[in-house]
Amino acid sequence: MTPGTTLQPPAGIGWATRVTLVIAFTFLICAWAIDLTPAALANLPRQMAMVLSFFYPADMDYGWSRVLPALLESIHIAWIGTIIGAAISLPLALLGARTLFPRIARLVKLISATARAFPEILLAIYFVPIVGLGAFAGALAIGISSVGMLTKLGAEVVESIDMGPVEAVQAAGGSRLLALRYAVVPQVLPEIVAHWLFRFELNIRASAVLGVVGAGGVGGVLLNTLRYRHFEKAAAVLLLTIVVVLIIDMMSGAIRRRLLR
Amino acid sequence: MSDAVTRPLRPARNWALIIGAVTAVTLMTWWSGRGIRFSLTELACNLPGGRRLLVESWPPEFSFFPRLLAPLLETLQIAVVGTVIGGILAVPVAVLAARNLTPGFLVWFVDRNFMNILRTLPDLFWAMLFAAAVGFGPIAGALALTVFTVAVISKLWSESLEAIDMGVPEAVRASGGSWLQMLQFGAIPQALPHYVSYALYAFELNVRASMILGLVGAGGIGMVLETQRSTFEYPRVTLIVLSVLVIVLIIEQVSESIRRRLI
Repeated sequence: MTPGTTLQPPAGIGWATRVTLVIAFTFLICAWAIDLTPAALANLPRQMAMVLSFFYPADMDYGWSRVLPALLESIHIAWIGTIIGAAISLPLALLGARTLFPRIARLVKLISATARAFPEILLAIYFVPIVGLGAFAGALAIGISSVGMLTKLGAEVVESIDMGPVEAVQAAGGSRLLALRYAVVPQVLPEIVAHWLFRFELNIRASAVLGVVGAGGVGGVLLNTLRYRHFEKAAAVLLLTIVVVLIIDMMSGAIRRRLLR
Repeated sequence: MSDAVTRPLRPARNWALIIGAVTAVTLMTWWSGRGIRFSLTELACNLPGGRRLLVESWPPEFSFFPRLLAPLLETLQIAVVGTVIGGILAVPVAVLAARNLTPGFLVWFVDRNFMNILRTLPDLFWAMLFAAAVGFGPIAGALALTVFTVAVISKLWSESLEAIDMGVPEAVRASGGSWLQMLQFGAIPQALPHYVSYALYAFELNVRASMILGLVGAGGIGMVLETQRSTFEYPRVTLIVLSVLVIVLIIEQVSESIRRRLI
């Protein structure tokens, strides 16, 4: 190699370029299929600006009197759902740990995968006619899908623990139950509670949506205000939702950071 | 030594914290329980009807399936369009929100808060908003998923960007490269596998979300679901839910196996 030449990566079409081309081609076909033409795209900013101008000023009277109670209901739904999820998932997480219960673990993981596969709103579609319109159906739907995720995350936490204390308890004559109580639970609890809090943050967003199928909360209010084109009222819904969710995220995030320290 | 066994000291407990936390959780649960108006009488009134409906909803009405094909395809198209546009838009949002790459504090601050606000609203809220703005149909759904994708990818990827080795970007800068060249040759290649992985993850979430966007009129299979649900055609609802599950699970499996190979 003479001085002055530089090493270049080999030229030619690599697999990354090919994948990009395939994605670009698929995208164009899909965009064409749903009528997202360049003209429609160019028209978008104007349309959005027009509709957004209707959102101002937000009707805060409506916000305080109607939206805030609905938001509160969403928080209640999320909380009860999280409590249901936490209570059922704690024993399941222990049973689902490969390291502790090798035989049951597989079954438990199958159950949790099934529970996770259903979006909350599809569960709510079944719960609403069974237990009646309203927040209770929403809480059940959120609870069940929380069980799925919390069991999976919890089992992973349990699998990652130091097995020393478990063996120590059993070597000292403790039963399996005692080993769980004194060697496993103290090690995993902070991290598992942090997962509960994180799930609570997700559940707030999920419960906000459930009103769409009549399962209580703020989603139904937003759907109605937009359906009847009361954009100032919809603005109040959005504004209050953003503020409340931000506050809850911050509080829950602060507690989680302290738990994991 | 008679009965004077010396035991190890019990670890001290912060009783004030424990009692405080238990009280707070109990109160919140009690308040929420009242808030969702759980009542046994209402439950008892609804259960018989609910049981009938559950019995009716099985078996699913398989003959309805041919009419689901076009909406299912549209659902996937919405997910693809939303993921691609959102995936591209997420790149600048993520770069500007990464503390080590951002050109200035103000840009970082504004972008970071923009990102957090995007994340507060759930996907269906965006779908409702866009349906109101551009009319009912798949375009509203694709736009909603675009916003949702930006929120997901930019948050995750900005964290990967913050974790890269800064030696290479600094070398590019030191040899006279511009800020953009620093990104192109120094920063982004390091975090590219993460980007692809998050984009696939966003696609999984989008397929799942696109199935329900139609509930608020934003196109896809959800619109069929909404009409069948509101007329209580539960055998058809079950068929739709099952086909949605099958598609979601297939996409998840494929995407997960690709992601495992990437990182």
